Amino acid sequence: MSKDLKFLVVDDFSTMRRIIKNLLHDLGYPNVAEADDGKTALPMLQAGGYDFLITDWNMPGMPGLELIKAVRADAKLAKMPVLMLTAEAKREQIIEAAQAGVNGYVIKPFTAETLKEKLDKILGAGK
Amino acid sequence: MSNFQVLKLEYGACVDALSEALRGGDETAFFTAVDHIVRMREPQTLTEIRKLTGDLQKALERFSIESRLADIAENEIPDAKTRLSHVIKMTDEAAHRTLDLVEQSGPLAERTAREAGVLIDSLQTYRDRPPVGSGFESVVRSIDAFLPVVRAVEAFLPAARADSERIRKNLADVLLAQGYQDLTGQIIRSVIKLVGELEETLASLTNLSGDIVEHTTLGENPDQGHGPVVPGVTRGEVASGQTDVDELLSGLGM
Repeated sequence: MSKDLKFLVVDDFSTMRRIIKNLLHDLGYPNVAEADDGKTALPMLQAGGYDFLITDWNMPGMPGLELIKAVRADAKLAKMPVLMLTAEAKREQIIEAAQAGVNGYVIKPFTAETLKEKLDKILGAGK
Repeated sequence: MSNFQVLKLEYGACVDALSEALRGGDETAFFTAVDHIVRMREPQTLTEIRKLTGDLQKALERFSIESRLADIAENEIPDAKTRLSHVIKMTDEAAHRTLDLVEQSGPLAERTAREAGVLIDSLQTYRDRPPVGSGFESVVRSIDAFLPVVRAVEAFLPAARADSERIRKNLADVLLAQGYQDLTGQIIRSVIKLVGELEETLASLTNLSGDIVEHTTLGENPDQGHGPVVPGVTRGEVASGQTDVDELLSGLGM
């Protein structure tokens, strides 16, 4: 059942979106959509149909942290699992992201194993 | 007409009136002449004060722009140099990682292709062999001739599977190595922002009559993010790796 999950990958760099999409495919999640910043992602999420959000932090337009806050503030999306996948590595930022309600935090550059581990953990915890 | 002649024309009559009053002991006429001279000087003094104020304002503007320039030159340009050197390091590492993986995969693919070629040839030789004997003897000879081909296939298939798996894994790692573009892109973007600011500041310096540019410091808005950690540039406490992040989050109860 979990393999039918629909992911939304938000990152301003198309190469990074491609990498994450490929890794998700390899992990058995073929259903992946992309957005290049929070402003594009939020209406997509609000339109419905997504089960998991993976977002970068540093993006022009609406940054990832703002997107997460908007997601958590939206009654329909509040419970959506969110993984932050970012180069932001300051301790205060990680704490801020945790407070904003992320379910996982992975710093770039990352490995396929780390992504798998965090996804399994988040999806396992949600069951 | 010389400057002095102009002065003589402007002030001559007043000075004459002044010395006349002095000679004649006329106090009222004396002070009237002095007042007249002072009034004549007033507009010039005002113009000079105005000019002085203007010069002072320009000097202050120049000082403000020059301080910003000094700040850029002292701190942000060296930071930008470190950032760009880090970009070179990351692209260099990613390129080498990719080349290593490609170089490892090439011989694996070649070996599979070569051994498959040998098998194809063996099968062809088997098919082309001249008929020997008849009946049961022909069947036995046929099996005997085919056995080495079967053994070669048995040896080939697991090796081909292992090589293909290795190539598949290398390709996944090549994909992952391209992640540098995201990180270097963010760093280069921040340097472009600095160059833009430098350009604006220099333009203000050459055109002091314009408004002073409003300065924004790089990475001031924490909500926007600071970009990748650059050794020697990023200030404050940073997570050293994923393990550090996991420990921090588990400390927060996640």
